[in-house]
Amino acid sequence: MAVFKRGYERYNGPLTGSATRFLAVPRFVWPKLLGQRFVVILLVLSLFWPLLCAGFVYVSNHADLLPSLGSGGDDGIRKMLSIDGKFFAIFMNVQSTFAILLAAIAGPGLIAPDLANNALPLYFARPLSRWSYIGARMMVLFGILSLVTLVPGLFVFIMQASLASTAWLQANWFLGQGMVLGFLLYIVMVSLIALTCSAYVKWRVVAGALVLAFFFVLAGASQIINQVLRVEWGSLLNPGYAIYAVWCALLGVEAAEDAPGAWESFTVLLLMLAALLAVLLRKLRPVEVVS
Amino acid sequence: MNQIWIIAKLEMRRAFFSRRALWVYLLALFPAVLFFGHGISVQYRRSEYAGKPVTPAAVLDRIPVGTPDTEVLATAGQPITDRKWRRRDLDRRSLQYFDGSNRIWLEFENGALKSRNRRTLNSFDEDSKVYAGVFQFFYLRLAVFFGCLGIFINLFRGEMIDKSLHYWFLAPVRREILLLGKYCAGLIASAVIFGGGALLSFSALLSYQSSADLQGYLQTDAFYHGTWYILSAMLGCVGYGSVFLAAGLLLRNPIIPALVMLLWESINGFLPELLQKLSVLHYLQSICPVAPPLDPNVPPLMRMILAPAAPTSAWAAILGLLAVTALVLYAASRTVRRLEINYGTE
Repeated sequence: MAVFKRGYERYNGPLTGSATRFLAVPRFVWPKLLGQRFVVILLVLSLFWPLLCAGFVYVSNHADLLPSLGSGGDDGIRKMLSIDGKFFAIFMNVQSTFAILLAAIAGPGLIAPDLANNALPLYFARPLSRWSYIGARMMVLFGILSLVTLVPGLFVFIMQASLASTAWLQANWFLGQGMVLGFLLYIVMVSLIALTCSAYVKWRVVAGALVLAFFFVLAGASQIINQVLRVEWGSLLNPGYAIYAVWCALLGVEAAEDAPGAWESFTVLLLMLAALLAVLLRKLRPVEVVS
Repeated sequence: MNQIWIIAKLEMRRAFFSRRALWVYLLALFPAVLFFGHGISVQYRRSEYAGKPVTPAAVLDRIPVGTPDTEVLATAGQPITDRKWRRRDLDRRSLQYFDGSNRIWLEFENGALKSRNRRTLNSFDEDSKVYAGVFQFFYLRLAVFFGCLGIFINLFRGEMIDKSLHYWFLAPVRREILLLGKYCAGLIASAVIFGGGALLSFSALLSYQSSADLQGYLQTDAFYHGTWYILSAMLGCVGYGSVFLAAGLLLRNPIIPALVMLLWESINGFLPELLQKLSVLHYLQSICPVAPPLDPNVPPLMRMILAPAAPTSAWAAILGLLAVTALVLYAASRTVRRLEINYGTE
């Protein structure tokens, strides 16, 4: 039978459930990302700090073995070795840098090629909404960024909880909760920034530069606003500072006294996320533009 | 030379007027806008405080820490502003006085004087140090860096992504000439934008100073400082521009070398002296006329390991930057000679 005489027939096979449909995208993208040499190098480098922290946790829980602390010991050193909110705040701060670098490498390739090659209609011709598409792309980054944030963070917390007494866990369970919540918020923020940059400029290379510029230039701009205008609110424009202030509140750590507080920072973060989402939705339209 | 200029003219139009250039303008003009804004606020403040009651500074300085707020009010009289709030379970109060040239805040915790802060209405010395910090930490490190990244990477890599580089290669010009033409276009555009930005922000800094300060400065260092600030911004474009042009030619993803360079420049102050000299920033900072103050928020541990290298002499810094640029451009010209276009891999 000639091919042209075959009429259109609807697909009658099994459909993927609507809730899990968006997982199809990460399933294909994750292996591709993990095949990139620079992503692997960054992932390996990002493990050094958690390993050091794990070593620190071990030492702090075996402080009695140290000669200077054997019999009562020095309170200053004991305080330095304690695992508290400050320890986790520093841990999160360092790991967040790796997350930014990873997002700058992995993020731009997620949407820019689809826009540059007018591939969006192909996605949206399938039972995939704009929200599902964004969710799918965010899922890719969530997986990669979790490897440098949530996973090592939970590893360190669980290690501390298992080495320390039950009393420590009862008194400090909020540290684990704060860390997970803080990292989740951070991953959402970084992913949205990376995706928006990727959608905004269409070129992968420029999008990568834009992700870096977003963090570094805003941090610099917030500093010079504070310096030139002699104010403190400039820090709110720095996403790095804003998220750190929220982390400090979640971990019960005192932030800088004069700087904006956690609620102000959280509000600004929400506004920033809303603005990024608005730009992303504006750019992701299932139309083909021929110019 | 004629061919270089023709190519440069064609490319310059894109560098100056593309939509992406708006971001570069924004980066270059941001400090100028801030200083203009600050100038307006200083002038407004001057007129605002002109009619305020004056409390002698000696009266306020004599009040010891721990004095109750009621006693302070009895001694110093009514303040200009009186603000009360509660934070971290402490009742706080801030009284503001004015001694004719300084604003003085007395900070109270639970009714007892805790500290006093003094701030002049405007201090030229302080402003020139702030400008030096803004110029070195924001303008050179971030604005010129990312601006050049945007402009110079676009010259070759952008054409490859646009699938239009072969039109240039089909023109009857040697590829080295094409490279030089494109580099000149990027350099002229970035030098005009960032040199102009530096000039504008420096003018904005001078625009609101008192006439006595301004006269003194104009008769001594103003011209010298302004020239070196503009020159260092332009030399930043020369150095970063050549590196990013070469990165755009040599690598499919030039963001990776840009990232490495950004990190290298960021940790520059913590490196041993010899390694510090292997960065563009070290030479640019050597040219800057005023050393920026160290951020007081830097933790003591970081302050201990922060050891800035001794600045290189200005002429050695300029020659060094030009020599490195020539070397990078030579390497780029060798690459562009052998370059084969394969748009499929982009």
